[in-house]
Amino acid sequence: MKQKNRIILSFALLILLALVFVFLGISAGSASISPGEMLRVFLGRSKDATAAAILFGLRVPRTLAALVLGGALALAGYMLQTYFHNPIAGPFVLGISSGARLTVALSLIAAEHGAILLNSAMLTGAAFIGALISMSAVLLLSSRVKNMSMLVVAGVMIGYICTAITDILVSFADDSDIVNLRGWSIGSFSGMKGEALSAAALVVGVSVFAVFLLSKPIGAYQLGESYAADAGVNVRAVRVAMILLSSLLSGCVAAFAGPVSFVGIAVPFLVKTLFGTAKPLVMVPACFLGGGVFCILADIIARTVVSPAELGISTVTAVLGAPVVLVIMMKRRRGDA
Amino acid sequence: MLEVKELSAGYGSRVIARGITFTVREGEILSMIGQNGSGKSTILKTLAGQLPPLSGEIRIGGVPVSSMKRNEFARQVSGLFTERPKTELMTCRDVVETGRYPYTGAFGLLGEADKRAVSEAMRLTETEELSSVSFGEISDGQKQRVMLARAVCREPKLLLLDEPTSFLDIHYKLTFLEMLDRLRRERKLAVVMSLHETELAAKISDTVLLLKNGECAGLGPPRSLLGTQALTAHFDLSPELWEKYYG
Repeated sequence: MKQKNRIILSFALLILLALVFVFLGISAGSASISPGEMLRVFLGRSKDATAAAILFGLRVPRTLAALVLGGALALAGYMLQTYFHNPIAGPFVLGISSGARLTVALSLIAAEHGAILLNSAMLTGAAFIGALISMSAVLLLSSRVKNMSMLVVAGVMIGYICTAITDILVSFADDSDIVNLRGWSIGSFSGMKGEALSAAALVVGVSVFAVFLLSKPIGAYQLGESYAADAGVNVRAVRVAMILLSSLLSGCVAAFAGPVSFVGIAVPFLVKTLFGTAKPLVMVPACFLGGGVFCILADIIARTVVSPAELGISTVTAVLGAPVVLVIMMKRRRGDA
Repeated sequence: MLEVKELSAGYGSRVIARGITFTVREGEILSMIGQNGSGKSTILKTLAGQLPPLSGEIRIGGVPVSSMKRNEFARQVSGLFTERPKTELMTCRDVVETGRYPYTGAFGLLGEADKRAVSEAMRLTETEELSSVSFGEISDGQKQRVMLARAVCREPKLLLLDEPTSFLDIHYKLTFLEMLDRLRRERKLAVVMSLHETELAAKISDTVLLLKNGECAGLGPPRSLLGTQALTAHFDLSPELWEKYYG
């Protein structure tokens, strides 16, 4: 009973935070728009065309992008941690995000040269393939190294290799490409409007729903492979589903926002600590919400502290998230995580 | 209850155990005795459905396991394995509840009957007072009892145990076996386990299966197979060495 109450209260808190941060995300910016004016714009009664353009053209899509993609990252992280039974596994440290960025950079450059016409679906597809390639490399390595820290080191190395190649591609790209690639390659939620946002929301929405439906077998898998098999779970099928869905989710983020670090590790840990449980039925929606809140906050910081310039989103998420990873590692040493 | 015929077990092309044949009736305990690497765990994993049998047949209640659906099979067989369960933020009751998996609906939520089965299993294994304690905080002996409750709450017909007493102190070793003895009598459970403690196996088992290099080196009542002569030969020990420590 106690645990049930804690879960309900935690959800209430997260939803409240999400509402507050969405509001802050929409209000924050160099042009000050009063809450009254904002309300009028949303009700369609405002005559201020600039305010409407700023809100609908910039801040609302950006805030929604942070919510959706942040949620996707946190959930991808949660699944990878479950898959590897390792609390410091995540799309960024395992090099999966970087793999996705590499294939996205390739396709963006190809598009600039008119080789292909790029739409959001193809971009997501490219990212998914890149994520899967990195993931396969990590899986191949993980079958050889049983040690969990070595797995992370291997992932970080794969990430570095992919990032280096991406950087080289960006450096050699034409001037016109660079304008496009620079913003994306430091990471930002600002690049998403209209069609891209709907595409990302669709992919993420469907994936999150699919993960939620898999809550039961994922919960059994958490205990360990032999106990999952003992309970009648098709372990191989669950593993494949987890790999595909986490690749899709982290690939989607890499395609639309570029690199965003540490969200996938920090948020699941914080959410587990808040809720006092790691059960997927609770964690799937909670991680999604938590990731969204975390990324909206990071985005607000990224665009306000050095305004009118902007920080890369990854800079902020690293400052917020890396200490959490250190806390996790300290706890592990003491043996309670 | 359980019939195993000419079973070969292993990983893909790596055959680890071959030609294993035995039967276990309701309420009976069969213990597998053999050196490390003799194939005990592989056989248990195969019986548990974690590894496909390489050849041969396994029947439970007369029905070939190969014809059963995953869930149907899981309802009849449960086990306790050597893999350490990962139980982040789980209470002991949470861990036991995972045993009801084959009975729960799409989201794995427990109904009234499930909850009753869990409580009953925790009562039988004397783990009720641990219900809300974090699984990570209890002793190895208590963990093994909780994992037994997890296996038992499924109300299986066949219980598989891989070295269930290996890391336990004498108190937990004997109380664990006592619980097992009661379970097989009260619930008519068939039990297949691997055990290193030959002296305990002799006391609790109805049948002993001696395994050597993946092959059956003896099958029968413990009295005939667990004598000093048979065991020294089975474990490649000189009678002097045996005498010095076990005599």
